[in-house]
Amino acid sequence: MSKNGPLALTFHSLVVVFMLAPLVVVCLVAFTPENTLSLPTAGFSLRWFEAVFERADFLEAFKNSLQLAFLAASLATLIAVPAGLAITRLQFPGRDFLNVLFLSPIIIPHLVLGVALLRLFALLGVNGSFTWLVLAHTVVITPYVLRLVIAAAIGVDRSAEQAAESLGASRFTLFRKITLPMILPGIAGGWLLAFINSFDEVTLSIFVTSPATQTLPVKMYVYATESIDPMMAAVSALVIALTAVTMILLDRVYGLDRVLVGKH
Amino acid sequence: MAFLQLDNLCKRYGAIDAVVATNLAIEQGEFVSLLGPSGCGKTTTLQMIAGFVDVSSGRILLDGRDITHAKPSSRGLGVVFQSYALFPHMTVADNVAFGLRMRKQPEAEIRRKVTEVLALVRLDRHAQRYPRELSGGQRQRVALARALVIEPPVLLLDEPLSNLDANLREEMQFEIRRIQSEVGITTLMVTHDQAEALSISDRVVVMQAGRVTQVDEPYRLYEHPRTRFISDFVGKANLLPGELDGAGLPQVQHSRDASLTLSLRPEKIDLLDNGAGRLQGRILTRYFLGSQWLYRIGTPLGELTVVRRNDGSAPLGEGVDVGLDWQPELLRVLAADEVSA
Repeated sequence: MSKNGPLALTFHSLVVVFMLAPLVVVCLVAFTPENTLSLPTAGFSLRWFEAVFERADFLEAFKNSLQLAFLAASLATLIAVPAGLAITRLQFPGRDFLNVLFLSPIIIPHLVLGVALLRLFALLGVNGSFTWLVLAHTVVITPYVLRLVIAAAIGVDRSAEQAAESLGASRFTLFRKITLPMILPGIAGGWLLAFINSFDEVTLSIFVTSPATQTLPVKMYVYATESIDPMMAAVSALVIALTAVTMILLDRVYGLDRVLVGKH
Repeated sequence: MAFLQLDNLCKRYGAIDAVVATNLAIEQGEFVSLLGPSGCGKTTTLQMIAGFVDVSSGRILLDGRDITHAKPSSRGLGVVFQSYALFPHMTVADNVAFGLRMRKQPEAEIRRKVTEVLALVRLDRHAQRYPRELSGGQRQRVALARALVIEPPVLLLDEPLSNLDANLREEMQFEIRRIQSEVGITTLMVTHDQAEALSISDRVVVMQAGRVTQVDEPYRLYEHPRTRFISDFVGKANLLPGELDGAGLPQVQHSRDASLTLSLRPEKIDLLDNGAGRLQGRILTRYFLGSQWLYRIGTPLGELTVVRRNDGSAPLGEGVDVGLDWQPELLRVLAADEVSA
């Protein structure tokens, strides 16, 4: 491990503080016994956490979000893996176009996409449909999976695949036994990134969710526009805690380096 | 008919000829090396035999069967790659068993064969390790075992030793030859290292700019290089101007406009006292190579390289005037290079 100079250390500390400070504040405010977002707070109370669990609509939104993120991330992965392999491995007309097409949802503002999809869903008569919400999210998160799959596929030792072929592996066996395991860290990392992006998405979701399919971020946004009370902080703290626990578990079981960086 | 035969094999990439009309006949059990500088088409030739590169024209015959357009998976050849190409997510035993599993052999049979071949490459105690836990030499042995275990008719080695450091490389050369003779498998090795090719092959095929320029046994190749390029690429060579004398023997000529180029190996030159011998010179520099001394000697014919055995006597110093002598029958007449490298 190389040592950092004092300047680099200061800079890194500032970045970390800048990123973490708001989260720390939110978590602290969540424990306030008062009715406003106040800090420093007069005491310590779990009343706002209790309030969250009494709100069935919040729990419902949380369940929606989890389901949506899980389905959309999985669907995006199913699209991105073959697409990523085709883009890195094959030479075909329209390859660059396909690459850019798959990336375009990152470039187009979600606000614009949201309006467009709202109009489209109205025309199709599918407003408020959960299936179409999943599809909409799939579109915007596929680029994340695709990027990581492409990076992983480029890193694969082609001669290992040739070796498998020479040993008698058919195309399908080659993919299942050799290529897929070698790009699995990239796929897992891509899925995770997609899941987080879907779970987090507000802008597009505001347009295409109905009360029945409302996601947690949309619910929070709508709630916050009407009243600001510490319950929002409590919900945020819960989400942060859940994410942290998931990450720690993943790191223990599989190693975050392997998932996100692709180290073996 | 030879066991593995290349008939007029060609590979074109657009306007570039990577391999031009290559003919080669390899007998069963033979160890043949494809030797040449990078970009000479040797790896492309090997990849065409393995089936990883399409053949532009010509044929590949294996034991009389035309495999020119067969899929790599149906050729059944053993291939060892420069990068080892092990499967990182599998143990050594699983890597080796892969080819047998593809052949759907019974598990007990697979275990027996894997144990056997790992003993052959002296890795029996590493069966449960992962490739990342092995050294470069051990990985290369795994790659070799994995290729051999399927009992292929031909073993193809693509620069198998170039990723190893010098000491290990020499050890693995002999190891590869030992295993090859023990199994008796027909082997084709691609290498750019002439010492490697000379030391372990039955025959060496020299390639240059997509063409085969000489095929010979290592000793003959070294002693009778056909062209200037080969004499320089295989071992070191002193190039001298010369003519044929009345008896048809090559003689060194002191004139620049001599019609022939002669090659004389550095170890074939004797160093005598100043004034004696066929040519006078002065030692410019001296290098110690362990078992040998290498002298660079300035002469009227240009700088010559002379190698003397380190027999324990004091070496000659730099700046010393010496006489050079050689047996005229050790001079070799070189043909002009038909292809530019």
